[in-house]
Amino acid sequence: MARWRTHLDRAMVAIVILAIWQVAGMTLGVYWVSTPWLTISRFFVTLFNGELIRQSSYTVEEAFLGAVIGGVPAVVLPFVLRRSPVMVAILDPFMVGGYGAPKLALAPLFILWFGIGTESKIALVASVLFFIVYFSTLSGVRSLDTKLVQMAKLMGASEQQVARKIVFPLAVPHIFAGFRIGLPYAIGAAVIAELISSNRGLGYLVQVGAMNFDTTQCFVAILAATLIIHAVGYSVDAFEAILLRWRPPETAATGGN
Amino acid sequence: MNVPLLEIRKLAKRFPARQGREPPPWVIQDLSFSVREGEFLTIIGPSGAGKSTLLNMIAQIDVASSGEILFEGNKIGCADPKEMRPGLNRRIGYVTQDDNLLPWRTTIDNVLFPLEVQGRLDDKSRAHAETLIAAVGLKGYEKYYPHELSGGMRKRTTLIRTLVYDPPIILMDEPFGAVDAQTRMQLQEDLLRLWSLGRKTIVFVTHDITEAILLGDRTLVLSRQPARIQSEHAIPIPRPRSVKSFLTLPGFAELYERIRSEVL
Repeated sequence: MARWRTHLDRAMVAIVILAIWQVAGMTLGVYWVSTPWLTISRFFVTLFNGELIRQSSYTVEEAFLGAVIGGVPAVVLPFVLRRSPVMVAILDPFMVGGYGAPKLALAPLFILWFGIGTESKIALVASVLFFIVYFSTLSGVRSLDTKLVQMAKLMGASEQQVARKIVFPLAVPHIFAGFRIGLPYAIGAAVIAELISSNRGLGYLVQVGAMNFDTTQCFVAILAATLIIHAVGYSVDAFEAILLRWRPPETAATGGN
Repeated sequence: MNVPLLEIRKLAKRFPARQGREPPPWVIQDLSFSVREGEFLTIIGPSGAGKSTLLNMIAQIDVASSGEILFEGNKIGCADPKEMRPGLNRRIGYVTQDDNLLPWRTTIDNVLFPLEVQGRLDDKSRAHAETLIAAVGLKGYEKYYPHELSGGMRKRTTLIRTLVYDPPIILMDEPFGAVDAQTRMQLQEDLLRLWSLGRKTIVFVTHDITEAILLGDRTLVLSRQPARIQSEHAIPIPRPRSVKSFLTLPGFAELYERIRSEVL
């Protein structure tokens, strides 16, 4: 009942947004703001002729590789540093600085260093995701339940077994939270890096659309990026729900859908 | 063999002072007792008497300020954290007040956890775990996660998780403290039955006089802080004992009254 109601309310919000968009397009002219109808029809045309999928796949590939390159060390590092709080303390100001630095401003530098190909986008995505995932994993490793660790040691668990069998499972929800927040940024970062300089990807579509005064194409690319971010979010939630089915329902039902 | 399995000699404990403050009072002072192999020893003490601190020191997870702890006649490190090995290489089992189950493991996987980390997981130990699960009435709940179990079921899981790897001595810190009266009686009944199967050496700490008499071969009464042994009582009530018939047994009322008068 409540679920059904939510869906209905969502549909109504969507209709309102589309109506505002349509009115804006009609009053300002399609030249400035493309209408929902034009956008959706172009969306399907480019979807079926393969162009949209081809361009999206570049963006997704960059985001994926960047997420692996940035995300894996971000997950591993807090575990390596678990037993040396001094190292964590030494690194802390640099990590906070890295986290706070405007990564998107690094995009031109990465393009300078790695060229306008895939590498510069991957580097940007990795630099965005690394710090987000690092800090959320670190908080998971730190928030660990000392009583569980003590219990495991009493039963003869080695330091390595404690890390693998106690600390890691406890940190999993935090790691997921990091990716849940970080992955949309990662895709956004890939799009923006493409926007600045590239010859393919969704950001490139936006750039070319704007140069040709073709706002419809800009909107199609933005729509595609939004849908991808949504799909990634849903996948992370679904994966987390499977992995964390041991959690009591009150806390498991925090997914963003 | 007159060497006791566990011997505590003049143990004392005070927590370190915080900077710029008076050192806190002694929690435990001049505490000595010993436990024979196969004995069920209960210790009664008021809340805050340092009962958990005492067990933590025996279990090698807290340092003593002075005194000695002997296991099988040999001194074990108790003052220097570097010399302490939590659980003394799996020879001291410890059932704490909280159930401490791993929430991401099912009942069976929680029970198998110690065997797994000790590298002793095989068909035989697995069968042993299943026997214990059946013995406390958890059959059918093997694949449930802790949050799906009742408080009493979690307590039973905790209990057999320590029994399954068979440490020579098991410390129990008010393991039935946080459950309702009915569940508690059920758990006591379970523990009596499990104990009659294996006759393990158990040191069981409680603030409940009835529980101390019902379960123990011998009971020690701790004084208020600083805790020392105030008195010792043998419990000659024959086994097998049962929660149901217990109150009417000869000797119970008199023993209860004697201990109560010391505590209050």
